Amino acid sequence: MNGKPLIDWNWIGGHLDDIWALTVEHLVLAFIAVAVGFAISFVLALIALRWRWSYAPITAAAGLLYVIPSIALFAILVPVTGLTPLTAEIALVSYTILILVRNTVTGIDGVPIEARESADGMGFTPRGRFWRVELPLAMPLIVAGLRIAAVTTIGLVTVSALIGQGGLGRLINEGLDTSFPTKTITGAVLSVVLAVLADIGFVLLLRRLTPWTRARGVTA
Amino acid sequence: MLQALIDQVGAVAAWFADPVNWSGNDGIPNRMTEHIVICLLSMVAALLVAIPVGLFIGHTNRLSFLAVTLANIGRAVPSYAVMALLFPLSIAFSVMGPGGDIAYLATFLAMLLLAIPPVVTNTYAGMQGVERDLLEAARGMGMRGHQVLRTVELPLALPVALTGVRIASVQVVATATLGAVFGGGGLGRFIIQGQARNDDARLWAGAILVALLAIATELLFAVLVRRANGKVRGAGSPTASAAPEVPFGSILDQSRR
Amino acid sequence: MTASQVTHADAPSGIAPGASVVFEHVTKRYDAGAKGPGAVNDLSMTIPAGAICVFVGPSGCGKTTSLKMVNRLIEPTSGRILIDGRDVLQEDPIQLRRRIGYVIQQVGLFPHQSIGENVAVVPKLLGWDAKRRRARSDELLALVGLDPARYRDRYPSQLSGGERQRVGVARALAVDPPVMLMDEPFGAVDPIVRERLQDELLRLQEQVARTILFVTHDIDEAIRLGDLVAVFQTGGILAQFDTPDAILGAPASEFVARFVGADRGLKRLSLSRVSDLEPRAAVTGVVGASAADARTRILADPASPWLLLLDAAGRPLGWVHERRVPAAGVLNEDMADPTEAVLTPRMSLRDALSAMLDADVITGVVIDDDGRARGVLTVEQVASALR
Repeated sequence: MNGKPLIDWNWIGGHLDDIWALTVEHLVLAFIAVAVGFAISFVLALIALRWRWSYAPITAAAGLLYVIPSIALFAILVPVTGLTPLTAEIALVSYTILILVRNTVTGIDGVPIEARESADGMGFTPRGRFWRVELPLAMPLIVAGLRIAAVTTIGLVTVSALIGQGGLGRLINEGLDTSFPTKTITGAVLSVVLAVLADIGFVLLLRRLTPWTRARGVTA
Repeated sequence: MLQALIDQVGAVAAWFADPVNWSGNDGIPNRMTEHIVICLLSMVAALLVAIPVGLFIGHTNRLSFLAVTLANIGRAVPSYAVMALLFPLSIAFSVMGPGGDIAYLATFLAMLLLAIPPVVTNTYAGMQGVERDLLEAARGMGMRGHQVLRTVELPLALPVALTGVRIASVQVVATATLGAVFGGGGLGRFIIQGQARNDDARLWAGAILVALLAIATELLFAVLVRRANGKVRGAGSPTASAAPEVPFGSILDQSRR
Repeated sequence: MTASQVTHADAPSGIAPGASVVFEHVTKRYDAGAKGPGAVNDLSMTIPAGAICVFVGPSGCGKTTSLKMVNRLIEPTSGRILIDGRDVLQEDPIQLRRRIGYVIQQVGLFPHQSIGENVAVVPKLLGWDAKRRRARSDELLALVGLDPARYRDRYPSQLSGGERQRVGVARALAVDPPVMLMDEPFGAVDPIVRERLQDELLRLQEQVARTILFVTHDIDEAIRLGDLVAVFQTGGILAQFDTPDAILGAPASEFVARFVGADRGLKRLSLSRVSDLEPRAAVTGVVGASAADARTRILADPASPWLLLLDAAGRPLGWVHERRVPAAGVLNEDMADPTEAVLTPRMSLRDALSAMLDADVITGVVIDDDGRARGVLTVEQVASALR
């Protein structure tokens, strides 16, 4: 509408370093959030499995955090922890808890009961049984949860640009603020690519971790 | 610190108590309505696309790989990025959304993209979950494909499919707030305004309202899913024994024998 | 390599192969302090080392509960269980279970591990090194009839039900346990596979005699496998504990008689073999021998007008009626009616009776392992074996 080309390739060519830096920043933010989120969720899952009654309150609390809109959570935390990566991380971690706790608990619950019984009968200690039998069999669901958490986190990192963080989200916002579509498009497209790559990455990871799910054919 | 928290709660309560915030364009009822309309339009459109697709691949088992892969990709795409990309489009087409919302097209499309994957995958999964024996019993009685679909597959797939709609709806309610960043309407406005004006009470109020709406949506669907489950198990509620259920009920009896 | 060649030094210390199991007044109550019968009531019995003892009974009779108290998956409310004289309650349950083989109906193979790894689970728990585990795993797979090269890297989902059961048995045998607990292990496979698995178990037992406690609800399986059978009654009461023959021949109560079935006479016959009975002499003649001579002999026998015709090697060719024996000439094959009722020494009396009934005769020809006729057995003789 205003005669300027939509994508200024020269600009992109000239700022590859910056773009790369932002991409890395984006990935780091996401990775930390998912890692911390998983650590916390794993502990919560263990608690929920050990003390069954705690599962409902834990998922209720995680669910409550989940429905708070991201822009609100970011904004609310700013007075508390400032315009820092920490603020973004706290919010990002909060969004991962629900799915990770739920999937971990459901995954472990889904282990076939006869595998558990034969494990006991053979002389596994309860702890041995958990780490060597139940956890490996819960892997598909746990990794599925991680996959969703990773992908949503990458998406939310773009939103965290609104409080000054956010890797590629910053590129998007700068483009919007300065009416420079190239930045916006680059930022947006790259964040989509990142998310899709992460998705594919987790699918491949799952395949490697669970070779038995792909075993084919029954012997005569 | 505790004092600050108490003060905050008081401020928010005061904000809710203020009649100014209940009237006019910027009032709670108006914004709430805007938000609901935005979400509803996107959800309806998403259902119109996703459910037929899910039913098709579930019933015929064709193209499932393609559909599931596309759904996965769609789910991975960050909504904010999509809105940013579509925003200029919105302006270019001068599409007006509720409340004179010029960002509406972007929001609508982004929410569409967000809602379709869970509904497709869950509808498909629900159809897949119907036991083969039941389908064979139905066909064995002389039912045609579409009759099997209507009387056996749909009721049995309903709980899982509804769960997909529930997941999608809650996500849409929460994420539609992003529209406000681009000047759109809905409850997100309160959040953006609160942040811009340093008005914490408004900010919190916005968050609370969205959370409440999302929870209400979740609860609504929980009830719907439970009722759908009840019908599947023939749990003897008065509606379950109504006429449309009878042919389905006799299939279950047949297969148990 | 057979199981008996495995050094018993491999077995964890403390229990010699084939250990006796003794129940002393064992009771299990789920509702402590409630009046009335518990799940298992005052169970006392002694199972000698190396015997297969089958626990049989209807649902809810406490047979599985009793079994599970041996490896303490269920703890007894009172009483003692002794393995080779040692009270299981004094031991660490985890260590105890690693020394007892345990097989369940759904097998419970770990889906995420290969067959080879599954078999080596307990050795791994005991700290065996990889090489030793693999060797033992291969050995055991071969023992249960599965080619290690083909099966060790497969996953449980790729095997049929019968194959999975075999792997389950192999797994239970991994550390050469003196006691094996089997809880309806063959219940989930079809009858043909079940019979094969039962034969396998008996064959394994012939190589190394372990003490096996086997739970089933199928009385025929109990009779087929058991050296001793414990019949349980609803309410966790032991109705009878004896050899299969004694239970069939002299049921201790109305319940036991009903449980073993109205055809218990026939069932008992399946416990004895043709070789258990002394065959009677019959008038015989060899092909090519004098017909007149044969005629004289057959007419002299008042009991039967039939002559058993044999070939040069002594194998039975059929029966010749005295009317068809000519006064002169030689005996030849055409004179004989071939008989289907040929009884081998290892045949069960039940199958022998069945063969005679099918052939519509009352006399069957008993042959030895080389096929030579040794004598005859009548239906009446078989029936009298019941008494």
